[in-house]
This record gives sequence, structure tokens and C-alpha cells, in this order.
Amino acid sequence: METIRPVVVKRMPDRINLREARTFLDEVQPFLHSDRPQLVFDLSQVRQMDAAGVDMLLHCMSEVMRRDGDLKLAAVSPQAATILELTRTDRLFEIYETSGDAVRSFTYFLPNALRRDDTMAFPPPRAARDGKEQGDDTVAA
Amino acid sequence: MDVKAILLIGALPRDYGFDAQFAGGAPLAGLDVLGRSVALRTADRLLASGVSEVLIVGDTATLRAAERNIALLPLDERSLWRGCETAFSEYAQSGADVLLVQHIGPYLELDYDAVVQFHLDEGNRVTPVCDESGAALGVFAVSGSRRNDAAFLFRHQLAELRSPCRGYQFTGHVNPLESAADLRRLTVDAFAGRVQMAPAGREIKPGVWVGEGARVHNEARLLAPAFVGSFARVRASAVVTRFSTVEHHAHVDCGTVVQDANVLPYCYVGAGLDVQHAVVGSRRVAHLKRAVEVEITDPKLVGSIPQQAPLRAIASAASLASFLPAQVLRSLFPSPRREQPASLPAAVQAPSAALRSPAAREAAHEVHPQFHPNLMMARKYGND
Repeated sequence: METIRPVVVKRMPDRINLREARTFLDEVQPFLHSDRPQLVFDLSQVRQMDAAGVDMLLHCMSEVMRRDGDLKLAAVSPQAATILELTRTDRLFEIYETSGDAVRSFTYFLPNALRRDDTMAFPPPRAARDGKEQGDDTVAA
Repeated sequence: MDVKAILLIGALPRDYGFDAQFAGGAPLAGLDVLGRSVALRTADRLLASGVSEVLIVGDTATLRAAERNIALLPLDERSLWRGCETAFSEYAQSGADVLLVQHIGPYLELDYDAVVQFHLDEGNRVTPVCDESGAALGVFAVSGSRRNDAAFLFRHQLAELRSPCRGYQFTGHVNPLESAADLRRLTVDAFAGRVQMAPAGREIKPGVWVGEGARVHNEARLLAPAFVGSFARVRASAVVTRFSTVEHHAHVDCGTVVQDANVLPYCYVGAGLDVQHAVVGSRRVAHLKRAVEVEITDPKLVGSIPQQAPLRAIASAASLASFLPAQVLRSLFPSPRREQPASLPAAVQAPSAALRSPAAREAAHEVHPQFHPNLMMARKYGND
């Protein structure tokens, strides 16, 4: 049986200083403490972010990972991207161009991966490859 | 023949980059590039080409001229053009035959001798210097006796001539110096030797220049080409590389990587940061690849250092005074640390808190049921 868990998209404010980060963290706290949370933060509005904002993102990431969930960033504004790059935190997050892409990445990751299997020229399984090299048709079949 | 020069700096809004507050309100031509500003480098070129005296007029707050022949006249935007007229009149009265007026503005590697010679040959009142397309570059040669033409030129902010004259066509290197990207490009050109801008410092190893009084930690790495300006500080584990400059009195904190970037004077770059493809100004970062300028309000990331020496001393004393009590408190109330086990095998054999079972089995005592414990097996290799 499979249960579909919701993906929560949260838009971040344009300025993220210590006060705004605390307010935002209070807002997302219930989602962080849920079972296997799936969160997307939309950073399209962010114009300013300080160390408290980066710290808040890392805190959310650690909380989500602790509960076997995932946090992804979407629509990161150039300003926010600059701050994330400056603080070397951009490499810790999956970043998508739009919130829709980020949400779909939760749901359609596996089918996409399988579809890629069909289209991309992956090498055949090792047993089949060895069998063909040895001329063993039964293994290949 | 007596030739003098008037350089205008900060005369137009575009001189300050795409944000007027980017470099703490200083015009881009007043900022150091490899240890010396574009304005002073232009003055040096003028003096080297035989100009007897150079007056730099306008926003000269960031300039530090030690040469006797370079005078600074700080004027605000309202009194700038009037002050230029007055300066021109004084120079003309003192016997200058030709005056070179240049707005910086753009960085030009102009042959001033050729301009003066062209001006004299043509018999112009005012000779503008133009690029290949005929656009004026903000450089004019004015005869000392033509005060009315000079006054007309200044009153129209160097945009109009009183009478049309044939211009001197310049085909050399031009950098418009209107944005942080232009400043960065000029730095790279200087490192690469495409422009005649020598770093103002001592070359400590090939491609690495360090200014007077700069402090570079033993564990910091300066990878060529790189420049550290006078009295700048690069702390432990920091890396400065790929055509990067840390200008005078700037401070790069521990572990920060500066690559393909300019750190402007009196800037503080916090610890553990990654500054790349950027120009770091006063609490601002201009990211060149994203073409965006970000204001950073957190002084832990990017801050500014006081320009006055007493203020810097007070700031250092204050940081030391706040650092010591924090260290004392930390020693009194140490943070809880995980205790290291006395012996590692015992720790491995101890049951894991998560699994409620030993982390590793005793492989030596494990006996396979199919084989006798005294049986030894060997594999044959070749003739052995």
C-alpha cells in the first residue's frame, strides 16, 4: 500500500534577517515536525538574506533530514542565489527553476528515472553482456 | 611649452557604477585597481608625457596623492563646473599654453603628446578626443588663451563645444568604467598585461604582488595571479586566486576563497565564504555572472572597515574586549562533548544504541558448520 504525502510549498519573504527568519521558522515548524516532510521553499521574492536566514535554511534542512524527508529550493532569485553561493550553501540543496518543477521532483522522480532507462543507451546487464561475449545465446535470451 | 591638466572625477552619475552606494559613495575611477586608482594612474601618465601639473577636481575623497605635481581639489556636484572654470583661469594666468581637460570617467591609454601636437597643428581652440565612431571620450585639449571656449565647455558639462573643431581620433584601449563589470575587466586586463597598469606592490613570487604593510597569514594561499594591497589582511586558510585583488586595508577572514573577484578598499569579507566572479564593495556584492548587486546587511558576511586609523584602532580594541570575555565564559562553561572511548575495540564491540546488538561480530571465533576447525585450504597458483 502506498500513501501519497503532501508537498508543502512555502514562499519566503523578501528580507530574511533574524526576526523574519524566526517568524518564518515558526510558520513552517508544524510541517518540519510531520512524518517524512516534503517541503519546497520558493525564494523568488528574496532580495536580502543574512547569516540568520542561511542558518534558518540549514536548520530546516537538518530537521527535515532527521525525519527522512526532503527540502528543496525553487525559483531562487539572483540575490538569494548570490548569498547561497557566497556562504557555500547552494551545494547542499536541490534547486529547481520553478516551484512546480520542485513539487514534481518529489512525485515523478522514479518514473522519470525509469523513462530515462528506456531512452538512454545504458549498457546491458553484466550477465547478458558476458553471455554475449561468450556466444551463449541462452543467457542473452 | 607649458601644458597642464585638469581631471574631473565623479562629475556624472554614471561615474559611480550602477549603484551610487556601491563603493561607499566613491566613483569607480577613484577606487584602487592593483594598488592605485585609475584617476591617479591617469595623472601619472600625464606627468610622464610632459605635463607640468595635474589638478584632480571633484569627488577626491578616496584619493591619496603623494606626488608634488598632483593637486586635489574636492568639490561637490554643485560647485564642480564653476570650480573647473576657476582652475582653468588660474592655470591660464600662470602661463599655461595648453590645458588638457579629462573626465574620468573612462580609462584611456591616450598618447597625450600626440593630442597636444594635433591640437597645435590643427590650430583649434578646443580639440576633442573621439573614438572610431566619432563619439567624444571626455578628453579635450584647450588653448590657454581661449577662456570663453573653456567656460562654454564647462558650463555644458563637456557635452558641447562653442565652435565645431576637428577631433583627434583615438583607437587605443578604452574601458568605460561605468559598472562593476568594467572594473573587474580592467583588473583582469591589467593582470594579463593588456593595459599599462603595473601592480603597486612587491612581487613576492611570480604573478603575486603584495603591497606595503600587508599581512598574509602563513597558512593563507596566494595563487598567481593575485594582488594584496597595502595594509590589507588575509587570514589563515584563506585563498586568493584567479586574477583576484584584495585592495588596501581590506580584510579577508579565515577560510574564505576569493577567486576571480575584487575586494575593494576598506572591505571586510567574513570567514568561510566563497567569493567568486564578484566585486565586493561596502556591504554590497556585485555578482558579475548574474549581473546583480546584492546588499548585505550582515556584517559577519560582508562589512566595512573604518577609513580613519583611530576608528580602526578603537574597533580592534572593542573586538578584542568582546572576544576575551567570551573565551573566559567558554572555558568556564564548556560545551558538552562526546567522550572518546578508552579503547576502540571495546567501543566497537559495545551494542549499538540503535540496533540493540553488537556493532561487529567476533569473526575470529566464528566457526563454519561445514568445515573442520583444523582444516586448512590452499589455492594453487601456477607451479606452486
